[in-house]
Amino acid sequence: MTGLKDFDPRTKLVLVLCLSTLGVFIQDAIILVLVFCVSVLLSIASGSQLFVLIKKFRRILWLFVAIAVIQSIFVPSGRILLNIGQIKLITAGGLYKGIAMVLRMSIVMVSASIMATSNSREIVQGLVQWKTPYEIAFMVSVAIRFLPMLTDEIKNVVTAVQLRGIELDKIPVRQRLKVYSYLIMPVVSGAVIRSRELATAMETRAFRAYPRRTSYMVLTMQRGDYSVIFMSLTISILTLIFYFKVV
Amino acid sequence: MVIDGLSLKLFQNQFTAITGPNGSGKTTIGKIMTGILKPQKGHVLISGRDSAGMKLGEIGQKVGYLFQNPGLQIFAPTVREEISFVLELKGHSKEEIDQMVSRSLDEFDLSHRSDAFPFKLSRGEMQRLAIAAVLVNKPDFLILDEPTTGLDMERRKALSYIISDLKEKGMGMAVISHDRAFISSLADRTIKMHRGEIVDDRT
Repeated sequence: MTGLKDFDPRTKLVLVLCLSTLGVFIQDAIILVLVFCVSVLLSIASGSQLFVLIKKFRRILWLFVAIAVIQSIFVPSGRILLNIGQIKLITAGGLYKGIAMVLRMSIVMVSASIMATSNSREIVQGLVQWKTPYEIAFMVSVAIRFLPMLTDEIKNVVTAVQLRGIELDKIPVRQRLKVYSYLIMPVVSGAVIRSRELATAMETRAFRAYPRRTSYMVLTMQRGDYSVIFMSLTISILTLIFYFKVV
Repeated sequence: MVIDGLSLKLFQNQFTAITGPNGSGKTTIGKIMTGILKPQKGHVLISGRDSAGMKLGEIGQKVGYLFQNPGLQIFAPTVREEISFVLELKGHSKEEIDQMVSRSLDEFDLSHRSDAFPFKLSRGEMQRLAIAAVLVNKPDFLILDEPTTGLDMERRKALSYIISDLKEKGMGMAVISHDRAFISSLADRTIKMHRGEIVDDRT
């Protein structure tokens, strides 16, 4: 084994679940920063394309800032940092909670990027060997497989709308909303049509013809996998016990 | 690299056919001409303006494009709305829109399907709807990528009449097609491509 990338997908899944659980249960922003740093380090160690992903999602990064500010507005506490008249816009306590919220979301997303280093076939096989029904595991893999196609379809519709001579940034907001509603139609119907075709194709290849399936690829857990699982679970449980006792 | 070192001028008063085997770069060049794909190097001029400085919406007002797969450019919930939607956004009155849509539906033999869900249309009907929706926008130039795919002999003939009519009205056109019989009767100029290069250009 050379790095986290080569570990069993089930090991990675346990790791992701541990990090996400810590992210969800812990309220303290300082501990969340630590968990976030560990997630980033593990994600890099697993060889995930973390920075490429961040670059890809940079357009929604403002959403994170917006969430922090909105959270801060609705849960005001502590010293007022910014106010308009009587309205406390940003408070120290509110901002702290807002930042904690953003950290929590970032931990879930960064840790999930570790899973992306295994291909979908391996993840399905991992789930199957964990006694997940094959149909459900297969559904997960199909969902992963079809996601990029949905993104492509949305892009196509935006291009098609614009090629009808419509400059999206120049039309009134009400009509722009109508145009955006058009995006849903081809994407949803495309997904339904494609899933029907997939179902037919699978049946013609005798999917579920026999109750027992064998696999060409069989995953085997190495000693390293057990060590990582044991360590992740122990550290997470101890952190939670320690955290809730102190709080 | 799909296309390298290619220089091409298309004229408004001509019907240009672009032919070539699969993978020769025909669709890529069509997409570059409409700004869907951006060239890594070089320029595309539309009516003398560099398309790099134009938004897709701006290009769309001058150039109409029919995708190889018409399903990719259909998005409205009904056949009628697919055609009327651009007209509504352009501020036409309801009467004008009804009139233009009905004329377009008749022209493309889609009147009986006007309230149908576009994704339930047959391939041929979808193709006709996509062309009708592009034409209702009255572009100056039209690029059609494999417009005869999925059309039977009758419909192919009908499309050829429509194209001849548009040609007479002065609309410039480039048709990317394998269908020799279809283009030979209409083309003023035929460009043959192979591996991203123009190997033949005849007027």
